[in-house]
Amino acid sequence: MSSETTAQKRAPRLTVDDVLNHRRRAGWSRRVLYVFLLAAMAWSLNVTVIQDTDWARMGSLGNVLGAAGRFAGIDFALFPTLIAPMLETFMIACLGTLVGVIICIPAAWFGAQNVTPFKPITYPLARLAMTLSRSIHEIVWALFFVSAVGLGALAGVLALAVRSVGFIAKMSAEAIEDIDPGPVEAIRATGGNAFQVMLYGVLPQVLPQILSVIVFEWEINIRRSAVLGLVGAGGLGLVFFRQMNTFNYHGVTSVIIAILLLISAGELVSYYARKAVI
Amino acid sequence: MNRPPQSPLVTPAGPSACHWSRFKFPDSLIRYASWISVLVFLTYTVEYLDIPLDRLLGMFGRMGTTLSTRYYPPDIGYTLDVGYLSYVVDTIHMAFLGAIFGLIASIPLAWFGSFNMSPSRRWLYPIARLITMSCRAVHEMIWAILFVAILGFGMLPGVLALTFFCTGFAGKLFAEEIEAIDVGPVEAMRASGANQLQVMAFGVFPQVRVAFTGIAIYTWDVAFRAATVVGFFGAGGMGWYLKRNILQVETERVAAILLSIIILVLISEIASAWARAKVMKMN
Amino acid sequence: MAMPLLPDRPGGGNVLPRLAGTSRSDIVAWKDAGMAILEVRNLRARYTVSGPEILKGISFNVEADDFFAIIGPSGAGKSTLIRCINRLVEPTAGEILFFDREITKLPRRELRLLRRDIGMIFQEFNLIDRMSVMDNVLSGRLGYTGTLRSLFRLFPREDIQRALELLDRVGLIDHVDKRADALSGGQRQRVGIARALMQDPKLLLVDEPTSALDPKISREVMALIKQMANEFKVPCLCNIHDVQLAMEFCNKTIGLQDGIKMFDGPTETMNKGNLEKIYAMEVL
Ligand SMILES: Nc1ncnc2c1ncn2[C@@H]1O[C@H](COP(=O)(O)OP(=O)(O)OP(=O)(O)O)[C@@H](O)[C@H]1O
Ligand SMILES: [Mg+2]
Repeated sequence: MSSETTAQKRAPRLTVDDVLNHRRRAGWSRRVLYVFLLAAMAWSLNVTVIQDTDWARMGSLGNVLGAAGRFAGIDFALFPTLIAPMLETFMIACLGTLVGVIICIPAAWFGAQNVTPFKPITYPLARLAMTLSRSIHEIVWALFFVSAVGLGALAGVLALAVRSVGFIAKMSAEAIEDIDPGPVEAIRATGGNAFQVMLYGVLPQVLPQILSVIVFEWEINIRRSAVLGLVGAGGLGLVFFRQMNTFNYHGVTSVIIAILLLISAGELVSYYARKAVI
Repeated sequence: MNRPPQSPLVTPAGPSACHWSRFKFPDSLIRYASWISVLVFLTYTVEYLDIPLDRLLGMFGRMGTTLSTRYYPPDIGYTLDVGYLSYVVDTIHMAFLGAIFGLIASIPLAWFGSFNMSPSRRWLYPIARLITMSCRAVHEMIWAILFVAILGFGMLPGVLALTFFCTGFAGKLFAEEIEAIDVGPVEAMRASGANQLQVMAFGVFPQVRVAFTGIAIYTWDVAFRAATVVGFFGAGGMGWYLKRNILQVETERVAAILLSIIILVLISEIASAWARAKVMKMN
Repeated sequence: MAMPLLPDRPGGGNVLPRLAGTSRSDIVAWKDAGMAILEVRNLRARYTVSGPEILKGISFNVEADDFFAIIGPSGAGKSTLIRCINRLVEPTAGEILFFDREITKLPRRELRLLRRDIGMIFQEFNLIDRMSVMDNVLSGRLGYTGTLRSLFRLFPREDIQRALELLDRVGLIDHVDKRADALSGGQRQRVGIARALMQDPKLLLVDEPTSALDPKISREVMALIKQMANEFKVPCLCNIHDVQLAMEFCNKTIGLQDGIKMFDGPTETMNKGNLEKIYAMEVL
């Protein structure tokens, strides 16, 4: 075989058309996806916005702007009375996260494939609990706990706790599944029991990640706890609801500003806390 | 505990070695002080929030009986009714639209609000950050109530509430993704004389495409969960059904509705996990 | 000078009744009686039921003052063999006698007591990166420490004393409070050695202690292990990739190839022919 023929075999000549055709073919499936998404969007728009909306009742653009304009203004007199609910909201978030973290310990342990004590039962059980916790909205959880333990902060704490379990446990379990098995083996080889293996082999490896997830969830819980009052679980949500019902729209704006302040503070703390952990 | 005798070491250690303590003076003091202040704060919290610790255990027992007697068995037939199912479909529509609009809005916001890529760090960056943060900070329920107050009952306020929610949610994740990119390709694009938009399209977008798709799918997931409850205050979807039955103490129907929500969320989660895995593989 | 460490118990430990575990005096008694501390008989192992057999009937004895090398090509089953002995890998057949006790069928609790008598040094060090050097060394003592105490890392004074002395011996006394991931490879392996010795082991299993280190440090680490094994009178079973190191440090050698023992004897008697047999697969 001559060297010329091998060279030809190795490098078949590409034409500009080949390249363009290849691109066209590669983009084909994507285009189908886009068309599909656009069609779905049109359908949804038709159902939700065009058919469902009572345009006549909403009135002209001016009416809408007028309705929105009612919120433009701040009821400064309300602020002093907001301090206590703000504190309450903040505390509900802290306690809820704490209780959630406590529930998470068994959930994450059972839900990580490599450390779960009895895989055929404990693993699916933990995964089910995580999905359950995440799939139900905090408002629904709060309603449930309000009906179970009565109005008040406790219902909010429990709702937040149960709601946070899913995410924290899922992330923690994933972190546990990713650990380096070496140290675990080393602790096992020194004769440590199952608990010591968790404590010395697993926990130090995953602690920073888990802490950062907890701080993240805590920040989200502040945001959540600000609305739990809407269904009677205490905090800023209750004040919001009251302002809305008495048509004090400027007061509503004040409450929203209070929420924003609280959340900004939480975000700031969370930013530095996560930086410190990692 | 029986501790067997240890083997002696051959050379005794110097005096420096004999004094070791886990607790070094300033560090351990700070650590203990912070632990104690956290504990004090938590105790005070329990006190302030008036949480009846003594009745807590009894409550859980009662909760168990409530669950088993009143919420069981769920009234499955109720959720198979056409009226209810049409509300489920509405919910899906709302979540879909909210997610799409939110994603569309969040892409420019993420671009302007990412520190490394923002066209103007002085103006656009803080404005974009502020918008994203406000969208995120205000809970979707509050958005829903506000839009209902402005636009009246219906699905339109629900869609808008979800849009704002998704904008905040995806905007933050997108911006973080952009801030984490490798600047090499970006510099290469800049060096070849590309303009801002071209740099985004050729230097940044290829790097974040897969992550963005994953986040987009995740956003849909979250939007659906939120969509199940925005109806509580009249913003459309199945939330309204849920609220009505809760108010009328139709607990078996509530149980059935919750069950249907869980199943739907599970389906959407499995589908999105599958889609995300597929996207990852395409990369 | 504080020397709270207890002296050897007089008399043969083997005659005293004991729940489980081995005492230091047993080594002396066994040595005096000229018996092997570890007897492996016809050991077989496989990782999966349908998978290939990794160890195909290995037998050998380890005596009280042995420093054993296990050599062989990659994949020969050296690590598997060593892990079978403290049952990080469960053997499928055969017997392992440790101080005349059959250990392949020990129940869980007894297994833990066995493991705390067998120290292990790993190729990848397997330190807990985010803990301090001190805590890493102390973690070698976990088998002796109650669960509650270990939760709060409350190790008894004499353990801390022992850890300090060991750290002094391995030359890390200035790094006691550093995090383990702040050390160099050689230093990390020294921590690993200290941790294994912390257990007061009656047998030391060493799985390629030097293959993550450069040649000079390798030699130092091997010398340290050898010296420690001599001083603590611990028999040692050491996987080595490098025949040169085995010749230099070990008094006996086992050659493995593809799960079969090809050579067993004093290291001096090993010749080129033996080596070619052991490494046959690699020559081809
Ligand atoms: N956890 C495991 N599961 C399944 N097979 C394994 C496992 N660990 C090792 N093996 C297989 O067992 C055989 C022997 O492995 P082993 O680690 O004992 O070899 P080795 O002699 O220590 O090699 P090296 O010198 O590379 O460390 C190899 O073929 C390997 O593929
Ligand atoms: Mg090996």
